[in-house]
Amino acid sequence: MDKHDSTIYSKFNPYEDLQQGLTSEKLDVYRKSVLDTLKSPGMILRQKRDTLALGAMCALPYPQVSDRARRLIEDEVICLISEGAAPYHPRYVAPDYQKLLSLGSEFLELAPATDLYEATAHLLTAYYYLPSEPVFLGRIDHLLEPFIDTVDEDTAAHVLRSFWLMADRLNPSAFSHANIGPQETKVGRLLLTIDRKLKTLTNLTLRYHPDITSDSFALQAVANTLEVTKPYFLNHQAMTEAWGDNYVTASCYNTMRLGGGIYTLVRYNFKEALAQSDGTISDYVDRVIPETVERLVEVVNSRIRYLVEETGWFETNFWVQEGFLVRDRFTAYAGVYGLAEAVNGLMANAGRPDARYGSDPVANELAERIVVRFGEELAKHPGAYCEGKNGQITYHAQVGISSDIDVTPGTRIPTGEEPDLYAHLATEALLHRAIDGGISTILEFDQTAKENPEAVLDIIRAAHEMGIRTLSIGSANSEFIRVSGWLIRRSDLDRAKDEKALRHSSSYLAAGFFDTKPIHLHRIERKV
Amino acid sequence: MLPDWPCVFRTSLSYNGAAGSALKGMRSVGTRSRDEALRNESNEPAIGFVNKVLSQSFVDGPGNRAVVFLQGCNFNCLYCHNPYMINLCNHCSQCVSHCPEGALIFKDGLVAWNPEACIECDACIQACPHNSSPQVRRTNPHDLWLEIEPFAPFLSGVTVSGGEAMQQAQFVRDFFTEVKAQSNLNTLIQTNGDVPREDLEELLPVTDWFMVDLKAFDPAAHRELTGSENERVMDTIRFLARHKKLFQVRQVVVPGFNDSEAEAKQTAGFLMTIDPAIDLLFLRFRSHGTRGIAEAWETPGNEVMASMVAAAEEAGLDQVHRSI
Repeated sequence: MDKHDSTIYSKFNPYEDLQQGLTSEKLDVYRKSVLDTLKSPGMILRQKRDTLALGAMCALPYPQVSDRARRLIEDEVICLISEGAAPYHPRYVAPDYQKLLSLGSEFLELAPATDLYEATAHLLTAYYYLPSEPVFLGRIDHLLEPFIDTVDEDTAAHVLRSFWLMADRLNPSAFSHANIGPQETKVGRLLLTIDRKLKTLTNLTLRYHPDITSDSFALQAVANTLEVTKPYFLNHQAMTEAWGDNYVTASCYNTMRLGGGIYTLVRYNFKEALAQSDGTISDYVDRVIPETVERLVEVVNSRIRYLVEETGWFETNFWVQEGFLVRDRFTAYAGVYGLAEAVNGLMANAGRPDARYGSDPVANELAERIVVRFGEELAKHPGAYCEGKNGQITYHAQVGISSDIDVTPGTRIPTGEEPDLYAHLATEALLHRAIDGGISTILEFDQTAKENPEAVLDIIRAAHEMGIRTLSIGSANSEFIRVSGWLIRRSDLDRAKDEKALRHSSSYLAAGFFDTKPIHLHRIERKV
Repeated sequence: MLPDWPCVFRTSLSYNGAAGSALKGMRSVGTRSRDEALRNESNEPAIGFVNKVLSQSFVDGPGNRAVVFLQGCNFNCLYCHNPYMINLCNHCSQCVSHCPEGALIFKDGLVAWNPEACIECDACIQACPHNSSPQVRRTNPHDLWLEIEPFAPFLSGVTVSGGEAMQQAQFVRDFFTEVKAQSNLNTLIQTNGDVPREDLEELLPVTDWFMVDLKAFDPAAHRELTGSENERVMDTIRFLARHKKLFQVRQVVVPGFNDSEAEAKQTAGFLMTIDPAIDLLFLRFRSHGTRGIAEAWETPGNEVMASMVAAAEEAGLDQVHRSI
């Protein structure tokens, strides 16, 4: 089959057509897809409804782009990551929940919160009405610390526990993300204690700063991450340098401004871009990247414009009207992945198939050159309505989706090919410096780390000092295993294989990983 | 800021033990009481015999640590986990023919090891009849520091172990002096405690902590396990505790030797007479790496380890742990 037949490539539903939307000859395929969803034994109602809605939206044509850009989409250099044809809401939002707590909401008919009960109830209400997937639950300690002394200590722990459990059960997704730190707070402490016991999927990031975060708080967080692979350790200093103080981490490890968000995420596949080149390093870096990045920006901007100019979302939504979200704090993502395959391919073309990204200094230099060049090119082209990042589309290392086969997430060194710990961090730190919109490195320690959390903190500090932005840390034999950037439970994976209903949509994505990328589930066995 | 990551451990050709006169007296196989042979009369820094440098360890003191393993030990433990570190090479050359890579050369009466060619198969160690290894490097304190410096940002400190680290006390002192001059890293010595008092005194100013192995409290068990008395070990523990330099006392729990609750109580009782805050760690014996009769010994189970901890706590110690 011709790869350029725009209806057949794998990233889209079989009835989709970029230019025309659903046509009459695809109606049968479309109906079958709807029926398959209705009858799916593994989905609960909400998941079926979401899938149906996405399918309906995908009956529309995609926002118009040039032939060259569409060709790159068809060639899978540019990937639209199942956001669907017509972006009618932002991909991610990071509302200013503090404003909601202190002023209340007219639309939600909520008065200002006066105690811990009200504050947590307000937040849970807000999550329900979020205008995107619930990827950001707030800087929980900032939000709740002012209310923590409105009840006695035991009650506070009880309320916070119920809140945290309900936040997870209402939005059972490892893309739901809360932030704590950098200061030690009562809420931060309590939340770590609770999170360790509850073992929820909800993700957590500690904004860590060695001069601000107390050692004892950081060590509690280390002890947690060795048990439940969270919180992530975020380099607060590096992030404030790029974003100012009011940034947040949402979804996997995505950075955005508080009170703003991300219009859309469009992915760029370094590996597939290789096929656009004549195979040489200079052509890839100096011609293909500049040309394709320009087209990538075109695609991103077509989607932003559709959302901002066509859908009226920013005029009609209470989140914007009441000031919890502000349009000029938004930006969009260009999310790269498949760096390892591109580097290894280019090195092989240059007669050095042995020179692998991760272990060979020349390959590592090439990796850095590619990543830096991409960033420079991205910065040359304005992002539409991207005032949230000085008019720029934000550079992001994308963690991968289940349909990615034989392609490494983000800019990571492939699992199993990592050099020793220090060299691994030094190599990836160079790339973390260049990508400020979310990038993470995964580390796994053996059981001895649990006896010596100070040692892990030593490594976190040094890694941050080198430029590493996000570290996700786990230990072998823990109940949780890391699949790329999010959490899943091993028992859930087994159930997914049995097609039993799962509440956790992200576990589904991970189950896809299990089928296509079993190595991700073998992280537990890899050397640490 | 960002260190280079050269392969710091490889030197072109290191003639272990090729120090000429400084080595005389060091050739004999067997236990030695101290590193007199390494002392020289000038102010030159001492030369050390280094078996291995680890860039990362979570189990050799507080935080993440580099660990330097020095060759040579004055004990001869039945369950030694690194028997090839007991003696210095006597250049008998029996290992040379066992090397599949030609990484060992016998020249002018000395065995030389080429780390570039070595594939770390350890055939030489298996072949050595003297509980030694030809893979030992001579180095000076400054060069040893240069090996550790690139990853110093990741570390809390440096631990010197062995073998018996205190067998090369002067080298350790000079090395720690260098570490303190070049960094903020802390320093720790792992020792069996059978050490002359004056060596400890010399090390105090540059050593933040010591970890002392008390192989057994019972003198007979200690004698049988190690071939040595434990009187001086206990003196060392008292001395270091008095100087606030005792990080931890460790005991490997060996079935049939020191795995009884009574032994744990006695050990803890002894430590109680010094300071109830002394940290005591029980480690499981594991047969990995051992030779001879210990290969057949069993690893104590969780029940035994828990009863040891409980007995030591009952005796009044505040901080008793056991290994995983």
